[in-house]
Amino acid sequence: MSEIKLLSSDQATITVEKSVAERSILIKNMLEDVGEVTEAIPIPNVNENVLKKVIEWCEHHKGDPPAQADDDSDSRKKSSDIDEWDQKFMQVDQEMLFEIILAANYLDIKPLLDVGCKTVANMIKGKSPEEIRKTFNIQNDFTPEEEEQIRRENEWAEDR
Amino acid sequence: MARQPVPLSIDPVPLDAGYVIVDPNSTSNSSSSSSPERFTNDEGPDCFMSNPDDSHSSIAELTDFRNMTVSPIEKMSSFRKPHHHHQQQQPLSPVNKLPPELLIAIFSKITSLVALKTCMLVSRQWADCSVELLWHRPHFGEFTKYEAMVAAIQDENAFYKYSQLIKRLNLTPISTKANDGSMKPLGLCTKLERLTLTNCVNLTDSPLMEILASNPRIQALDMSQLYNISDLSINVVAQNCPRLQGLNVAGCKRITDASMVPLSKNCKFLRRLKLNDCNLLTNSTVISLAENCPQLLEIDLHKCHNITDESVLHVFNQLRQLRELRLAYCDLLTDDAFLKLPNRPYELLRILDLTGCRLLTDQSVNKIVNIAPRLRNLILAKCENITDRAVTQSITKLGKNLHYLHLGHCQHLTDRAVQSLVRHCNRIRYIDLACCTLLTDQAVCHLAGLPKLRRIGLVKCHQITDYAIQTLVRRTNDAQCPLERVHLSYCTNLTVNGIHDLIKSCERLTHLSLTGVDVFYSRKDFTQFCRPPPEGMSLSPYLRRILSMLTEVEFNEHQREVFCVFSGSGVDKLRRHLNAQQAASSAAANTAGGNNLAYYNDDDDDTQEMEEDGEAGTDGVED
Repeated sequence: MSEIKLLSSDQATITVEKSVAERSILIKNMLEDVGEVTEAIPIPNVNENVLKKVIEWCEHHKGDPPAQADDDSDSRKKSSDIDEWDQKFMQVDQEMLFEIILAANYLDIKPLLDVGCKTVANMIKGKSPEEIRKTFNIQNDFTPEEEEQIRRENEWAEDR
Repeated sequence: MARQPVPLSIDPVPLDAGYVIVDPNSTSNSSSSSSPERFTNDEGPDCFMSNPDDSHSSIAELTDFRNMTVSPIEKMSSFRKPHHHHQQQQPLSPVNKLPPELLIAIFSKITSLVALKTCMLVSRQWADCSVELLWHRPHFGEFTKYEAMVAAIQDENAFYKYSQLIKRLNLTPISTKANDGSMKPLGLCTKLERLTLTNCVNLTDSPLMEILASNPRIQALDMSQLYNISDLSINVVAQNCPRLQGLNVAGCKRITDASMVPLSKNCKFLRRLKLNDCNLLTNSTVISLAENCPQLLEIDLHKCHNITDESVLHVFNQLRQLRELRLAYCDLLTDDAFLKLPNRPYELLRILDLTGCRLLTDQSVNKIVNIAPRLRNLILAKCENITDRAVTQSITKLGKNLHYLHLGHCQHLTDRAVQSLVRHCNRIRYIDLACCTLLTDQAVCHLAGLPKLRRIGLVKCHQITDYAIQTLVRRTNDAQCPLERVHLSYCTNLTVNGIHDLIKSCERLTHLSLTGVDVFYSRKDFTQFCRPPPEGMSLSPYLRRILSMLTEVEFNEHQREVFCVFSGSGVDKLRRHLNAQQAASSAAANTAGGNNLAYYNDDDDDTQEMEEDGEAGTDGVED
């Protein structure tokens, strides 16, 4: 089983099974382009902690069937269905959670990105705007008039 | 119903987007030319030609555009009115590291419109990233909500230019209140891709022409039962909607060749077309469609009475990939429509409806089976010339491919045909043999050999007795009888015993019709679990049409009197009632010592133990 090395943004070298690393479409395409590589592949946007976490996910999911290019079923599923292992995996602080999402996006690991997005969506559901702001430490940059206007203009929206 | 996800941008997003600064002035208002197409698959309820028996058939095959070329934040800002110019830097909390694309990816996992509405109130950036999802496919259960939405799209000082965000609109839930005045503001929308107006019967050409003229991106248009509209509206579609792929104008009876021929020439991507009851249309329309719309997959010409063999020949000769062809009540069709076709196979044809094409004979059936060996649904109801030969020598060749067969009113059929059918086509799930009056218990006993049979129609097969029903539902090894819907109206030899056995053995039963079976309709203790008889006036035009199709006559007083249909919870209540009666009568028999009557006909005794919750059957008229 061939292995490759990845170099995190904070200059840590991580050795990983090639097939596991290739869950990342970015890395997979890179390897296809350059062929055999001996030196570590730089992943300039992801630090060691996050990269290790992402690799942990890839290792657990290395046996998953590859998503088909035209397969919408994955993104179609909504946040209610996150598999149990993934739920546990995502029980991290917000800093790490959003770093995982960013890394999954950068490394192009769509199923991991989906899990991350679903996790955040679940944190949003059922909360009031103020509770959401508190949860994520977001500043309300609307004037009261603007907030009232948006409320009024979208008042029609109801659930099916 | 799930909202559709926004297609995620697969391209990596630069990670240095630690701050997201929303500057409405930074982009020009050029979104209309550069905004990406976003069209995702949908098989939801407003996908107008959805067909429960045909899982592959839907708008889902529409093109899937996935190129997100413009940053959503630029796009949203361009929809936002410039007078809201505040520039603020958000503090760098973890969530603010996300670029808008990823925020949208998160919001797209939220199915609830109410939750999306909440997201819009969190901050400017959140509003920018959720507004398009919220407005992509507005939904209203009440007319007041529709009015509120219309007010927002008409307001020139609104926070966003909402009219440009709506891609799909389904007004069916408010169809009875929709009228020309309330629809007119929809002309402000210019990005509509799907518009569903089913049953908005009050609409006329005037607002519709305006809406259609301003929405050149329409791909799916459902105007079924808008009987006031004319060629004027269809001509606007022909001129302005070149991307049209699905059109449903069922019941728009005023439409003529004068608009449909131009439409067929300009809407070359048409895939699905319903022209039911457009009985002014002639061969000109059908031939022009066949010649100009090579992608047509499904055509419904129900009751287009002017259609002749020539149309059918053109359709088959030009449209090799046809999946579904419905020609019910195209009663001028003769055997020539099929016999003159060359012997090439139509491997993709799955559904053929020839209801009421009374001139067709066994020869047509033979030819059809030979050229369409993979037919799944074959509907030959009221093809009265059909004989056993069509079944034993032709239809049986469809073998396991055949799932759905309607032979109602094919009165020449005998038990032999049914026997042969069951031997060769054992995947049949749906069979209708209504009014095949020669059939006896033998035929029904054979049908017991269909392991997947879920729906059976034996209306007016009056020779059938309890024995047939008992054999039909009996299973060895405690296996479940798979029947769900059973139609036995006017099988007047049936008794309570037979029906009780049926209802005991079929736990999945959700529908049982016994109209005209006097041992049932005359018993108040049974009919209390019936759903109410359809009253002509309270039915929607659509249901009334179906009903009149089924019965071919208006529902009159006598029919109301003998009406006896159990559905949904009514079936369960009838089951409990019959079980209780049986228990009571066997107890009585034990004490009385030898009274062998299985059932008492006593209205007072048993009714109070049945709790009546007034829930009526919910699943429409008899299918």
